[in-house]
Amino acid sequence: MFSSKALLILGTSTTFFERVHLARRASAGYRGKYTARQRACGLRAALLVLLILGGGPLPPRVKAEAGDDEQPAAFARVIRPILADKCFQCHGPDEESREADLRLDTQEGATADLGGYAAVVPGDPEQSALYERIRADDDDVRMPPPDSGMTLSDNEIEQLRRWIASGAPWQEHWSFVPPRSPDLPEVSDGDWPRNTVDHFVLSRLDAAGLRPSPEADRRTLVRRLFLDLTGLPPSIEEVEQFVDDPSPKAYERLVDRLLRCRHYGERMAIAWLDQARYADTNGYSIDGGRHMWLWRDWVIAAYNRNMPFNQFVVEQLAGDLLPDATVQQRVATGFNRNHMITHEGGTIPEENLANYCVDRVKTTGEVFLGLTIGCAQCHEHKYDPISQREYYRFYAFFNTLSDRGLDGDNGVNARPSIEARSPLASDEEIAQTRQELARLKQQLRAPHTGQAAWEARLRRELAERGRDHELFPVEVLKVSTPNASGVFAINSGGYVLVSPDASGHFPQISMRVDVPRITGFRIEFLHAPDQSDDPIGYGKALEGSFVLTGMSVSATEIPADQTDLYNILPIRRVTASASHADYPPQDCLDERSHNGWSPHPDNNTPQHITFTFDEPIDTQTRPYLTATLTFLGGGYPRGEHLMPRRFRLYAMTGNDTDTNVPTEVQEILAVDPANRTDEQLRRIHEYFAATSDEMSALRYRTENVRNRLGHLTEPHPAMVMDTAGQPRHTFVLERGQYDRPAEAVDPGVPAFLPQLQSDWPANRLGLAYWLTEPAHPLTARVAVNRVWQLLFGAGIVSSSSDFGTQGAQPTHPDLLDWLAVDFADNGWNVKRLVKMIVMSATYRQSSRTSPEMLKRDPNNRLLARGPRFRLPAELIRDLALKVSGLLICRVGGPSVKPYQPPGLWKEISHFGSTLATAQVFVQDHGESLYRRSLYTYWKRTVPPPAMVAFDAPTREICTMQRSATNTPLQALVLLNDPQFVEAARALAERVLREGPSDPEARLAYAFVSVLSRQPTSEELAVMRTALNGAREDFLRQRASALVALSVGETPCAAEVDPVEHAAWMQVASLLLNLSETITRE
Amino acid sequence: MTAVNHSDRTLAQVTRRAMLGSTGLGLGRAALATLLFTDLTRGTSADAAARSGHLREFGLPGLPHFQPRAKNVIYLFQSGGPSHVDLFDYKPVMKRLHGSELPQSVRGDQRVTGMTAGQSSFPIVAPFWPLRQCGERGTWISDQLTHTQKIADQIAIVKSVNTEAINHDPAITYINTGSQQIGHASLGSWLSYGLGSINENLPAYIVMISQGTGKNPGQPLFARLWGSGYLPSKHQGVKLRPGASPVLYMANPPGISRHRRRQLLDALAEMNRRHLADTGDPEIEARVSAYEMAFRMQTSVPELADVSDEPDSTFDLYGPDSRRPGTFAANCLMARRMVERGVRFVQLFHRGWDQHIAIAEQLPKQCRDTDQASAALVMDLARRGLLNDTLVIWGGEFGRTTYSQGEMGSPRAGRDHHGRCFSIWLAGGGIRPCDWGRTDDFSYNVVEDGVHIRDLNATILHLLGIDHDRLTFEFQGLEHRLTGVEPAHVVRGLLA
Repeated sequence: MFSSKALLILGTSTTFFERVHLARRASAGYRGKYTARQRACGLRAALLVLLILGGGPLPPRVKAEAGDDEQPAAFARVIRPILADKCFQCHGPDEESREADLRLDTQEGATADLGGYAAVVPGDPEQSALYERIRADDDDVRMPPPDSGMTLSDNEIEQLRRWIASGAPWQEHWSFVPPRSPDLPEVSDGDWPRNTVDHFVLSRLDAAGLRPSPEADRRTLVRRLFLDLTGLPPSIEEVEQFVDDPSPKAYERLVDRLLRCRHYGERMAIAWLDQARYADTNGYSIDGGRHMWLWRDWVIAAYNRNMPFNQFVVEQLAGDLLPDATVQQRVATGFNRNHMITHEGGTIPEENLANYCVDRVKTTGEVFLGLTIGCAQCHEHKYDPISQREYYRFYAFFNTLSDRGLDGDNGVNARPSIEARSPLASDEEIAQTRQELARLKQQLRAPHTGQAAWEARLRRELAERGRDHELFPVEVLKVSTPNASGVFAINSGGYVLVSPDASGHFPQISMRVDVPRITGFRIEFLHAPDQSDDPIGYGKALEGSFVLTGMSVSATEIPADQTDLYNILPIRRVTASASHADYPPQDCLDERSHNGWSPHPDNNTPQHITFTFDEPIDTQTRPYLTATLTFLGGGYPRGEHLMPRRFRLYAMTGNDTDTNVPTEVQEILAVDPANRTDEQLRRIHEYFAATSDEMSALRYRTENVRNRLGHLTEPHPAMVMDTAGQPRHTFVLERGQYDRPAEAVDPGVPAFLPQLQSDWPANRLGLAYWLTEPAHPLTARVAVNRVWQLLFGAGIVSSSSDFGTQGAQPTHPDLLDWLAVDFADNGWNVKRLVKMIVMSATYRQSSRTSPEMLKRDPNNRLLARGPRFRLPAELIRDLALKVSGLLICRVGGPSVKPYQPPGLWKEISHFGSTLATAQVFVQDHGESLYRRSLYTYWKRTVPPPAMVAFDAPTREICTMQRSATNTPLQALVLLNDPQFVEAARALAERVLREGPSDPEARLAYAFVSVLSRQPTSEELAVMRTALNGAREDFLRQRASALVALSVGETPCAAEVDPVEHAAWMQVASLLLNLSETITRE
Repeated sequence: MTAVNHSDRTLAQVTRRAMLGSTGLGLGRAALATLLFTDLTRGTSADAAARSGHLREFGLPGLPHFQPRAKNVIYLFQSGGPSHVDLFDYKPVMKRLHGSELPQSVRGDQRVTGMTAGQSSFPIVAPFWPLRQCGERGTWISDQLTHTQKIADQIAIVKSVNTEAINHDPAITYINTGSQQIGHASLGSWLSYGLGSINENLPAYIVMISQGTGKNPGQPLFARLWGSGYLPSKHQGVKLRPGASPVLYMANPPGISRHRRRQLLDALAEMNRRHLADTGDPEIEARVSAYEMAFRMQTSVPELADVSDEPDSTFDLYGPDSRRPGTFAANCLMARRMVERGVRFVQLFHRGWDQHIAIAEQLPKQCRDTDQASAALVMDLARRGLLNDTLVIWGGEFGRTTYSQGEMGSPRAGRDHHGRCFSIWLAGGGIRPCDWGRTDDFSYNVVEDGVHIRDLNATILHLLGIDHDRLTFEFQGLEHRLTGVEPAHVVRGLLA
């Protein structure tokens, strides 16, 4: 039975009890967000839910950190979390859902006189209704109510009793109180600590009766430091240099060197990009491309220059509002333009703008405040003292810019966007790059030994041109243009007629071929029938011409309306009867919209383009061809109508009659080299350099370096924050809905935090100043915790995006506070903070563990050993690139598109019917394949698959922590992704060329190259067996060795024996797949 | 965030095994079974499996919550919004009112998309093709779906599904992840998380994509639709594609034989185990097992994808497209093969159902793509005795408007998005064949037995033995669930 006191607190009748219960029942998901609506739900609905719900306990919430000891119940560390977890839902900050007028999140509320009684009577548990209710046997009385699925453990009840008995001392939630620098704790072993960090860690270990682990060996340490501070493994030389340095300062010198290294900024940026939800596409719906890499460059530069963290915050949140803001300070504000945007037709601009603002609030809240402030969008925050009104006051800071609700199409940045130069561009690199480009141009001009063979090949090709050539009109079965009807028609004779309305639509042409074996096919473009005075195209631009921007064709057993994306026929050669210099025929194999083939200016006579397949097609088994032709403007807008008027398709046998070799070059080829004029020699070499396979690698290099120079010297676009001429007003939005504005609000910060100073502007700049006040309880703690997370795999507060009452308790609260105070007191110096942590004895511990240790502290929260964790996705790929020697170390610049399985974008994108960019993946070549992974093009709806396999997020929203899973898909990536296969090949080649010749020493060299330590004799034996086995296999099958070496674009060194190379490649692959390789030990 | 689910017991167990030195190459089948797509040191699957004594069924402890009606799900997702007005939700009165203005009282104050919001008139358009009453209960199905008409007695048609979303991105995100906001876990990943895998060689959640012939390209899809959101990323759907490497990176590199790969993996396992002995981190043992499973997938997946063992009668049943890999029909056949092999959740995404324009031309093509194979799948499952354990769902993210988008009668005319009511059908796996829910005379508003997409998801979970309210994951201080925080109801009337 419950006592009358309890009744008095909650009401005086059982009917009331029922009501409370039912309302709670109705809130089926009542631990979540939208309680206001649930409350509106009537009793009938509540009863219905009551019938449906099975009841029963929720899975246990695992919250306790290891090593919790038996200290007296400290309010902030023990009691408040219990109350927050089990009581605040109904007795917390949210007035709307508050039951019985009782709130337990404030001291005032908990001890309030509720008619002669109180939930908490300090010093007297027996008189405290709270204590009575949590112990009640009666389900109708007991708190939390049984149907809530929550229970208090006996220990929790006892803790609450002891707390009340000891006078119910009250403290604010720990993270809402400014950190103070705690006294240095006593430790059992004064020799172990190397700096202050260690005192806090050791004192906690002492309390738990644990000892720290010994220091890791030097090779482990150097690898750990390299990976943690630069994201790259050390080279053999870098390892030896440290190992051989006898100076007691060696470790510190290494740390200093790595902090100065330009890769430090890249390493730090990798984590920041997740938090800032950086991506190269817009995310929603069509997910077209955007240009934000300048902002990424800004982040790298800021880290490398060791920009103070407070400045880092101010510039990213409000750089544009600083007095005399520089262009770079404006670029920095891209932080809050990284959110997803949309131009999906049919969406409502006001709603989109609200969504963008919601994202800015959520991200800013999590990243800088460590608060899930976003939870208060629709209702008062359930756990933290943030009202909905306060949410919208915070929102108001970010709601004043001149962005549009539907924007960002066609690869053009959504406004506001500015143009700026990269902050990473140094005069030194610009000069070097100019020289490099000049050198490469020189090389392109230089005589090449391959030219003679190329000429011979060309002559042969020209001689064989048209051999056995025959054209056969195909039977056009159907032209599909699902998104428009009647704009393409088949007329008699198999011609396809294009209507003037066809602009923006693309035909898929289903054909049947009767010729048994075809080598290619041709498309002939003609005038409209009986209109031979008209040009062959509709184009306004290019005077009656058209641009074929893409062509793909598949062959199938049975007719298909659409080209089979997974079965596209490879094309060896494309020629045309005439071509515009800017639109050469081969450009239509790259299906992007900005380039393609155009016959212009020969628009008044029929023209054709001819595609030769890699391999002839056996049309007896696959008689049906389906071709997709796209006419996406070639860089011109839709209104220019760059469409053909009529075309016809032919299957081809024998050799193509056309050639791309200009007549002039053909004439030179006919002249004996000895008899050529200087001009002829120059011209033919120029053609050789511009088109031959022999020169393609050099061409790619030159192109990449030319682009690099452009990135360093020219302005590029980036989205930024600004203030509109007439900024939007902000209102509280009922239930968070954009179309339900209520009270108008001004910008402001939550009441439980320090307030804005009156001399600060009431805008984002004021907000940024507020955040970076040393007295702010959250900013510095959240920031140092994030650095700790990066170096230890988990933060001192493991929920690094939630420092609120539902977040995890810090494992080392005093250490966190000390670090936070020290950080702010010392100029928010990030490198200093990083250095201090990595200099500690705590950081230097060995990560080896034992069953005993795993049992005591499975998650290593007490830090009795060094952390050991799998590397993030980017670092795994970067490691393979570095140890194989493939890595291109340029810092910054636009995103690149390394290898990716074909079709991934097209199968889900809007390819073909829109000028949006990023709809079809076109792989890069040359050095772009080997850039660090943070430069890999990030398409939000199809993030890079090899990165995703290793837990990289989509970057649709702010991510503070990644998972670290271990799956078969990861094995497949490391074993079979061309990037890793090529890295294995390059690593093998490097070992064979640079390593010692002694077989055993060579194996050891390979091992050390990857793992930075010497192999054991057993490990050597395994490698030796692997090598010998592979060698035997490839000796038996020499051809497969050559095939194995064919993966990847980098050429193989001619002097390396293929069998030996392929065998070593297996050893290299073995090494790249080791658990130890992809782990930070 | 994943560390939240850390199970000390699992760790201890794994550690013990690691320490006892399971150094023999080639793990036992039992050990392997617990490892596929599970993250040994961070998940609880191995633990659950060990405790339950079941080899092939594991997931969260305590799940399923009650006796499931279905073991597997095949979700035939029709992306773009199929026209319920034309296909299922027949309203004789519309024929009479064809061309007249949809009354304002029916339209209400509902927001409409930016595409038709500006129209001056909203003329009612009767179904473009006849519907007929089929099966014993005389349920209405369009003549565009003649094969579906044949399975009328086996399916439940829900005509009162509804969503608040009015545009594709939010709507398709909503129905697949339970929220219009980005970042939530998809239905399939919830099932993988909660119930685990029932196959030791294949992922628990497989996704396949096809492009419809009615509209090309269809509305874009997003990785988030089969993503894991806040759940550990191993629960995201694994895409299966036609071609030589159905799972990304599955094929050995050129020149590398299976024998060679085996040799490499043996060496790798040996070196990894030596390192395990040195460091004591049980994660290493999990990695060794992951490699073994990858090796096994290299045979199990091609075996799954190789339909040469199917008789002609199968292809006849599914239709000619089923011979062409990558089509919806071929994917339906693959779905059946997966269910036979114990894949928990198969989701096909068929694009192209967004008939804003030229609906008269486009819709028949979409129907032709999907009708025969969808019906064949139900029949095929039934004749193999698999339908009882397999829930089949056919439906999209919303329906389409009764009123015309664009000038009525023009070949360019179509129908706009409509979320207030739309039709889906379900079959097998504990579903009672019936017509459920009623809409008004204009197929515009729900009149009776509305099924919000939350309710739909709650019902799907229920059929799998899951109380939607109790399958939760804590992230950023909130207990997340597929059905969100507003009340969701299992639709009891749909249960057999």
